[in-house]
Amino acid sequence: MMGIYIFIFFAYLFGPLIIMSITAFNSAEFPSIAPWECFSFRWFNEGKIAYDGQHLAGLLSDWRLHDGIISSLIIGAGVVTLSVPIGMAAAIVLTQVRSQLRDIYYSISIMPVLFPGVIIGISTVVLWDRIAGLGGEGFISDIGRNGIFLTILAQTCFISTYCFLIFVARLQRFDQTQEEAALDLGASQTQVFFKILVPYLSPAIASAAVIAFLFSFENYNTTVFSILSDQTLTTVIASKVRLGISPALSALALTIIALTIIAAVTYEVLRRRAEKRYAESQERFVKEKAADNRINKKYKAGFKIPKGITAILLIVVFATYGATQIVKNDLYGQSCIDAADKEKKSKFLEQLQTLESNELTDEELSGGSLGGNQDYGDIFGDPSLFQDFGGFD
Amino acid sequence: MSADVELSDVSVTFGSFYAAKNVNVKVNGGEFFSFLGPSGCGKTTLLRAISGFQEPSEGKVLIDNKDMSGIGPNKRPTALIFQNLALFPLMSVSENIAFSLEVRGVSKEERKKRADELLELIALEGQGEKKVHQLSGGQKQRVAIARALAVEPKVLLLDEPLSALDLKLRQRMRTELREIQKRVNITFIYITHDQGEALTMSDRIAVMNEGELEQIGKCDEVYNNPLTPFVATFVGENNPLYGKVTGIKGDKAQIETADGQYLAMMNETKKLNIGDESIAFVRPESLFIPRDDDSFDNKIDVNIESFEFEGNLKNFYARLQSGAKIKFSVPNAIDTSSISSGSSIALGFDSSKSVILPKASLAID
Repeated sequence: MMGIYIFIFFAYLFGPLIIMSITAFNSAEFPSIAPWECFSFRWFNEGKIAYDGQHLAGLLSDWRLHDGIISSLIIGAGVVTLSVPIGMAAAIVLTQVRSQLRDIYYSISIMPVLFPGVIIGISTVVLWDRIAGLGGEGFISDIGRNGIFLTILAQTCFISTYCFLIFVARLQRFDQTQEEAALDLGASQTQVFFKILVPYLSPAIASAAVIAFLFSFENYNTTVFSILSDQTLTTVIASKVRLGISPALSALALTIIALTIIAAVTYEVLRRRAEKRYAESQERFVKEKAADNRINKKYKAGFKIPKGITAILLIVVFATYGATQIVKNDLYGQSCIDAADKEKKSKFLEQLQTLESNELTDEELSGGSLGGNQDYGDIFGDPSLFQDFGGFD
Repeated sequence: MSADVELSDVSVTFGSFYAAKNVNVKVNGGEFFSFLGPSGCGKTTLLRAISGFQEPSEGKVLIDNKDMSGIGPNKRPTALIFQNLALFPLMSVSENIAFSLEVRGVSKEERKKRADELLELIALEGQGEKKVHQLSGGQKQRVAIARALAVEPKVLLLDEPLSALDLKLRQRMRTELREIQKRVNITFIYITHDQGEALTMSDRIAVMNEGELEQIGKCDEVYNNPLTPFVATFVGENNPLYGKVTGIKGDKAQIETADGQYLAMMNETKKLNIGDESIAFVRPESLFIPRDDDSFDNKIDVNIESFEFEGNLKNFYARLQSGAKIKFSVPNAIDTSSISSGSSIALGFDSSKSVILPKASLAID
């Protein structure tokens, strides 16, 4: 019973992601699983070249997406370099203030998290618009109307608070006598900071940087206001959705998911390796200490088959089987796509011919008979007629 | 190498609370000096005043006859060993030891050389690459000492560094500390609430209570001639006998209690007059079951209540006729089979082994 609930829960969590990931490989122009057109990687490459605009561009050819990613990365880097030091400084101050002030200081510090992001975005724009207005045509006016700069500032407002919370959690476990010990041994305050506090905080610095970057990268509601005329990844995606979604977005989502999974797995592998190394060093230490060599014998290294190997074998078997099936059924590649396009085009031609044959004569038009409407209705009722037409870009 | 430390009229206040009040001590160079007192008596505050973490509210701290006010802990010729040791967990043993050299910009080779020297001093040769958490409690202790000694401080301050160790290790570390002190020959100022530690290691001790100094002196002096009832009961155990002075014979005074009259030594500085409320103190080990050839001038009748075997000693808990409790100890070698609980016996003690002091509060009431 328990197993079913867990299955439902995970299906609920990951089902949409899995379905969306599959649609990225369907060559059809609208993200769908059924009807399945062709298995293709076109949405990861140049997509479908539409001469009326870029709305069907794949990941590789969509220049707006590229610009958005680049400015998202710039903003992310800016936010990390600003909010990590701000969060750290604020957390260190928290350990220094007296207990009566501490609660007030803490409440004020976490307040930006509670503000709606929209308000932070709008207020940043309003403030900098005024500042830019003061400086005439100079540097200040440029910078005050620079979307990327404003977005960095606006996001830093609340992301530095998340960093602050991470540092506070780490600092709570800090033994302050270590600072005193370092001072007593002759270190200056600066040396205490760089030789004792920063090494201690380094795990928090790393996780604060990662979290700040992720928050910045995925932020929409602050960014959409503060970005002004520029575009970030999230605003590009949002504007694309407004024009009708293409499977390129599924491809993008799958890429992001894959990158996340790879990063998480890499981190986990590295962590386990470090843990193992630590355990080994402890073991060696125990062995050194133990004069009795019976313990040494017990720790003889043996050859072990890693548990993951069965899973890897299964995946390989399924992948090979799936690939052969796809090739056998001619479901993959340019030929399949061409065939599908041709079919669509022939349909289009057919419909054009129907249209021509149904063309009203001047007589019918002047006759005032509006019975022809029904014929037109037939044409417009055909859902595949305007399938190739995605709108004006 | 070593330096005198002088506290002149030092008071430390937190709001209206006096953590230390008018403390005057002069610790001589090269001395092993202990501050002994119950927890919360202000001894750690004094240590922090000497090391520079706490500026005295009044008075001055002088090290080597130089006024230390306004000089931070990193500029004073002192090194402090913390109660929790405060070793740096992210550094190796050698890095810990050489930290004070590193912050002074000493070259890497020289740091390594000095760290190796110190590792030898604390008998941990070749273990410099280990991380702190790989060391045992006693080894950590020694690393903390080595780290403090790395820059050759003139004064080493120790804040109950042995309190976290188990009994056997503590006893061994006492001797080791004493040996290290003799080898490096610098002033050690030691803080403890454990009178055993203070008595076995120190040249002199200062007993503190509620921020004030009660007595300063050599260990045997403090133990045998306590100046106040607090010292009498805090350093070692003591049986108080409450009463009034009824007569004075030279340096001895006669005290009249509810259970009889006893003769006890008066302290030169605490002279008593007839009629004064006072307390006579007699230690459990000074009370004995008299035999024919024993000479003693005080006799005390008690009712045995219970018995406790401690190993080297046998402790008896008894009551006087007035109901006052009394404890006495006899060495394990002495046959006590005739004494059973409920029996009444007469004990003796010599007036030279007993002290009489003006009435004041005890350490444990």
